[in-house]
Amino acid sequence: MPLRLLKYGLSRTYPISEDIPATPDLLPSYDVVIVGGGGHGLACAHHLSKYHGIRSVAVIEKGYLAGGNTARNTTTIRSNYITLEGIAFYKEAVELFETLSQELDFNVMFSQRGQLTLAHSEATLRSFHLRAEMGKHMGTRTEVVDQKTVQDLCPQLNLDHGGPLEIVGGLWHADGGTARHDAVAWGYAAQASRRGVEIHQRTEVTGFEVVGDRIQVVNTNRGRIACGQVLIATGGMNYDVALMAGVELPIRCYPLQAMVTQPLKPWLDTLVSSVSLHTYLVQSSRGEVVIGGGSDPYQLYSTRSTLDMKEHLAEGAVHLFPFLQGVRLLRQWAGITDMTPDYSPIMGASPVRNLWLDCGWGTWGFKATPVAGKRLAQTIAEGRVPDILKPFALERFETFRLLNEMGATAASH
Amino acid sequence: MSRLPAPWGSRIDRGRTVRFTFEGRACEGYAGDTIASALAAGGQWMLSRSFKYHRPRGLFSMTGAEANTLVQLPSEPNVAADLTAVREGMAVTAQNVNGSLDRDRDAIMDRLGHFMPVGFYYRTFMGPRRDSWLKFWEPIIRRKAGLGKVDTNAQHRHFDKSHLHCEILVVGAGPTGLSAAIAAAEAGADVVLCDENPEIGGSLTYGRDDPATLAGLAERAQSLSNLRVMTATLCNGWYEDNWLPLIQGDRLYCTRAAEVVLATGSIGQPAIFRNNDLPGIMLGSAAQRLMRHYGVRPGRKAVVIAADEEGYGVALDLIEAGVRVMLVADPRSGDMQGPFEAELRASGVSVQKAATIEAAEGTAGNRHLARVRVGGRWIDCDLLTVSTGKVPAWQLPCQAGAKVGHDQTTGLMTLSLANAGVHLAGYVAGDDGLEGSFRGGRRAAEAAFSRLGYEVAPNANDAASSPTMRAAHVQPVVAHPKGRDFVDFDEDLQVKDLHNAIKDGYCEIELVKRFTTVGMGPSQGRHSALATARIVAEATGRSVAEVGITTARPPVGPETLGVLAGHHLPLERRTAMHARHIALNAVMKPVGAWWRPYFYDSGDEARKAIHSEIMAVRQAVGLLDVSTLGKLELRGADAGEFLDRLYTMAHASQPVGRVRYCLMLNEMGSVVDDGVAYRMAGDRYYVTATTGAVARVYADMLFWNAQWRLRVDVLNLTGAFSGLNVTGPKARSLLATMESDIDFSREAFPYLSGREGVVAGVPVRVMRIGFTGELSYELHCPSSLAPALWDALMAAGEPHGLRPYGLEASRILRLEKGHILIGQDTDAITTPDELGFGWAVSKKKPFFVGKRSIEMRARLGQSRKLVGLRFANDAKAIPGENCLVLRGGTPVGHVTSVGFSPTLGYTIALAYVYVGDATEGSLVTVKCRDGALVDVPVVAHAFFDPANARQEM
Amino acid sequence: MKILTCPMNGDRNIDEFQSFGPVRAGLDPDRTADAEWARHLFRAENRKGVVIEWWRHVPSNYYFLAERDLVSNEIIRTFDSSDPQGRT
Repeated sequence: MPLRLLKYGLSRTYPISEDIPATPDLLPSYDVVIVGGGGHGLACAHHLSKYHGIRSVAVIEKGYLAGGNTARNTTTIRSNYITLEGIAFYKEAVELFETLSQELDFNVMFSQRGQLTLAHSEATLRSFHLRAEMGKHMGTRTEVVDQKTVQDLCPQLNLDHGGPLEIVGGLWHADGGTARHDAVAWGYAAQASRRGVEIHQRTEVTGFEVVGDRIQVVNTNRGRIACGQVLIATGGMNYDVALMAGVELPIRCYPLQAMVTQPLKPWLDTLVSSVSLHTYLVQSSRGEVVIGGGSDPYQLYSTRSTLDMKEHLAEGAVHLFPFLQGVRLLRQWAGITDMTPDYSPIMGASPVRNLWLDCGWGTWGFKATPVAGKRLAQTIAEGRVPDILKPFALERFETFRLLNEMGATAASH
Repeated sequence: MSRLPAPWGSRIDRGRTVRFTFEGRACEGYAGDTIASALAAGGQWMLSRSFKYHRPRGLFSMTGAEANTLVQLPSEPNVAADLTAVREGMAVTAQNVNGSLDRDRDAIMDRLGHFMPVGFYYRTFMGPRRDSWLKFWEPIIRRKAGLGKVDTNAQHRHFDKSHLHCEILVVGAGPTGLSAAIAAAEAGADVVLCDENPEIGGSLTYGRDDPATLAGLAERAQSLSNLRVMTATLCNGWYEDNWLPLIQGDRLYCTRAAEVVLATGSIGQPAIFRNNDLPGIMLGSAAQRLMRHYGVRPGRKAVVIAADEEGYGVALDLIEAGVRVMLVADPRSGDMQGPFEAELRASGVSVQKAATIEAAEGTAGNRHLARVRVGGRWIDCDLLTVSTGKVPAWQLPCQAGAKVGHDQTTGLMTLSLANAGVHLAGYVAGDDGLEGSFRGGRRAAEAAFSRLGYEVAPNANDAASSPTMRAAHVQPVVAHPKGRDFVDFDEDLQVKDLHNAIKDGYCEIELVKRFTTVGMGPSQGRHSALATARIVAEATGRSVAEVGITTARPPVGPETLGVLAGHHLPLERRTAMHARHIALNAVMKPVGAWWRPYFYDSGDEARKAIHSEIMAVRQAVGLLDVSTLGKLELRGADAGEFLDRLYTMAHASQPVGRVRYCLMLNEMGSVVDDGVAYRMAGDRYYVTATTGAVARVYADMLFWNAQWRLRVDVLNLTGAFSGLNVTGPKARSLLATMESDIDFSREAFPYLSGREGVVAGVPVRVMRIGFTGELSYELHCPSSLAPALWDALMAAGEPHGLRPYGLEASRILRLEKGHILIGQDTDAITTPDELGFGWAVSKKKPFFVGKRSIEMRARLGQSRKLVGLRFANDAKAIPGENCLVLRGGTPVGHVTSVGFSPTLGYTIALAYVYVGDATEGSLVTVKCRDGALVDVPVVAHAFFDPANARQEM
Repeated sequence: MKILTCPMNGDRNIDEFQSFGPVRAGLDPDRTADAEWARHLFRAENRKGVVIEWWRHVPSNYYFLAERDLVSNEIIRTFDSSDPQGRT
């Protein structure tokens, strides 16, 4: 039995651990203002305070802590990308997740049970080879597997022998996994606030006062704040917030929906995703089966759900696992994704000199939480962008240095 | 058996006994019973063990709203025992038990609660090693997680979908919904009334109302032909524009209603005190449902908590059913006395005002309620009914946009909705009492049908009436120092768990929910949302309205994935020659939605069969079904100009009768499609597109022209026309033997030209193009005639050695010729320059889509180029497709296509390499799948017949 | 299912339609500097508010314009692209 359990058992009162201090009054100024109290912003605050000695940091959150996409994603963590730049970045993310519970002294339940992406055609299988070869070259565990291995990895799958959606093979990514999304944000929040970072919930940015090429003041519904550096990490609101500083991002917002079944005894060990069916499934440690897919087909700033998407996801899930017909759905929800033209994030400098970007996370933001936080903290502390982030610069859209991850996103968050 | 005599038990048929098993034990019930009512009749009250502490749980609401009643059927987990009809032979077992329901080894968890305070799993199970969670702790937790077991061998079931349209949908057939539906139908509207219960009436079917009331309403409803009543039908969500899923059995009705009236009623709330979860403690309405619906006596000795008139009604019902009512405890202190209270007092039952339920105690192992403590004294009883407050059933109203409020003076939860097409009625609108329900129903109906243009003389009383305010009552929260005062039964959460979460800083309601998981279980907050809001409000010094409740998300109640999925029929397309391919032993494979021959099985191994198909094309003549190609016909005065803007080459200047390659870019300048354009007349082109891209190409063409407004029409003939490619050195001599008005000679029909005519009686358009690199005629004709043309070609081709060939041979043939496949040899950023396609890009045209971008990208410089690679036969390894091309150890490109060329006798490939290495003769390094590095020379794209002598012969 | 009112086909379920995104300002490619051209390609109208966008009714292949609120999802009106009223 872990020592802490013993401690709980023997203690007469609940051992309070003030993870999220009550929102304090705003100070007149901070060295760093982080707009957005989601996983990314909190991770950055943690790294600034722990590794760069920067503690005059305010995290500004318009709602409740980590209530945006951090709370709404389906928690997939993986590094099976196509480009060198993408794999290098997400590989570091996976490595950080491997030690994150220890780093935060908060169990984020990183569960590296592997991700199996299914190929229903020879053409898809062929495209998986590029991911596998790039992944292997970069030192990740990514390989193409045949039909039999697919069956071994997930015996419950309907292979649809002879059918139009026969599973002919797959991409097995042993590094893939999930983590408890809320815990990641709370762990970062607790660590950062213990080092002096202020977290301001229910505090909404209403504008920036830009003088020359610098933001002088961040205006909020609770008052003005003078700032040294500013980071925008507001998920689905990135376009809107950046625009307040006069920066127009190449981003479009689309809802992304997901749903979850009632709790079941564990039967599904790996993450399973199908590109052709635009469906993926994973069973959480609570026993619920989380089912997700692609984004909605038109732009919208709304977290409303639709019946059509639910029917579509159910079709995909039941096709892959026909016995799920009798399993009951508990809840559906949505988040707002900020999609870029090359399905890759925008990190680093902006045209405003002290404004840093952590944007364009589309459907893959959660998995990048620790690495984005770490590397953007480094960027802000050192005042320059580290090599690992350079390919993700906003200016790539002016120089056609797009990241070639396109066609790489469907149903494999 | 504790069955009550008729008329108790309106739903059961005492003439039909149903036998089933529970936990392996033989049980009996009547037709019409639910699993829970049949078990209760037999004295089995315990139905499950709780999620965390494995405490015994029994029925509580009789509405299927909580995890307490979830049981396992052999092929169905998490079945609500209090909703599901019992069937002959059903084998019911308990869920989430280690051992059996009665002897659950995990019951010890109830004593270890101390070790597991709220959120403990976030603070433990992290060591001692980095991977301890994954390797050790998580497997233990996973074994404890979840409720029911899924049967991975479950039999396939038939589910079904249907559409339903109506003018007014009324959800909820209680007194409110009935009056709304009747009023709307009487005004002339087309009305659907749905209710999840097996009969109409709602609370009228189990409450202490005059049966004549319901009978009268039912009669009126029945007489209206424009009122469709759907019972056993759950309205499980509200979606934009009044789109609602109605679930009736295994059928999903996707319903469109012009107006919706939500009369969803109320949800009874539990009282919170120590051991408030024991079997034997239930809502007053649950006891009434047991008695009136199933004729089951809910206990022998009861204590009744009554904070409203309904509670006193429950006490009267219990007395009538022969239950000894020990005490009626009313938490209110005032002496507002309703008729039921007066009646009860007259009967001599002791009533205690300002009474507080402090705790309950169970029998051994907490298997059933044994006594309750009220006002400082213990009272022995086996039944405690709770009528201490209700909340409006907020789920559907909130999905439709209603905001939740809270009346500080009455302590009631309120709803306000500003959605023009949705109307609240009854308890959700603040109406109370039977008369209030009737008035509220009529008011909402009038609001709905008047928006549709129906008119009736308004009922003066109704029009003037605003919602009646409900009587105030306070749901008691009596926290106990020893806990087990459950706020959420599903998740085993006690008052202190919420307090502790708040102390840890999780003060916002959504954070309380996420940290404690309150409201996240199967009941989705039905019984816990208001109590949670109150506890959080009190602990944080805010008002309940400020704290609010968490977002109501669909579905309202659990729904199966099967009913949502319905039949899933993946799209499949077959060419007109499908049966011919099958007859020739083709191995068919899916390509997108199409089935295509991969190769024709000759009894030999696949590789040999494919090679002999290739050699037939190179040496004699082959026949390929190319019907899946996109086929577009463009007509109009501006057709040439239109193509000039869409494609990179010049088409307006293309002579009639000529065929030209066409290459399409997107605005970014990336290659997205290719094909050929045959100019059939001055104002008419026939254009092909690749199989996978045609749908998008066609849509894009029309999209561009919606903006350009050129005089051109585009017709998508992909399905209407079929294509057969006759290719090989003997193609001409074969066609020359066929009955045709087309002169196939080299002089009359040169390479890259097209002809229209008739072959073997079939009207065709023929193009001389050369994907295989051989003399080729591609014959396109109406799909209905294509099999006849295929047969004629096969018959005429026999003396020439004609063989049909499949997709795999086609891939190698085109690779030998160095032709690219869009999507395989190109990706999202491929430019024409990278393909060496400068020849295919007009330098003269002022504009085409992508022109500006490729010019810019050319200035920025390119880093890679597609080249040919030739592998020596003694190479130590041969790479597969998508193996990496390395330069100084770094990937700079990859192999896009590779294959052994039987024609050339060695392996060839197309690959992206660093642009500086793209010259013929350069050596590039390819990393094979096993990691072996092979140095390979770059060669020209066109591996075979680079002078094109064969295709142009 | 949301309803979209097609100017040609009337009220239809929105799954019969395909979004082609907000209308973009015309730009003369030959009079545009590289950086500006790239911005034109990649920038997207995404303000919280009302946009005019292209939609296709898939079964009839008819393209038209719709004015829609990106926050509330309310479709304010739809009109043919030749409609002079459309551009107001």
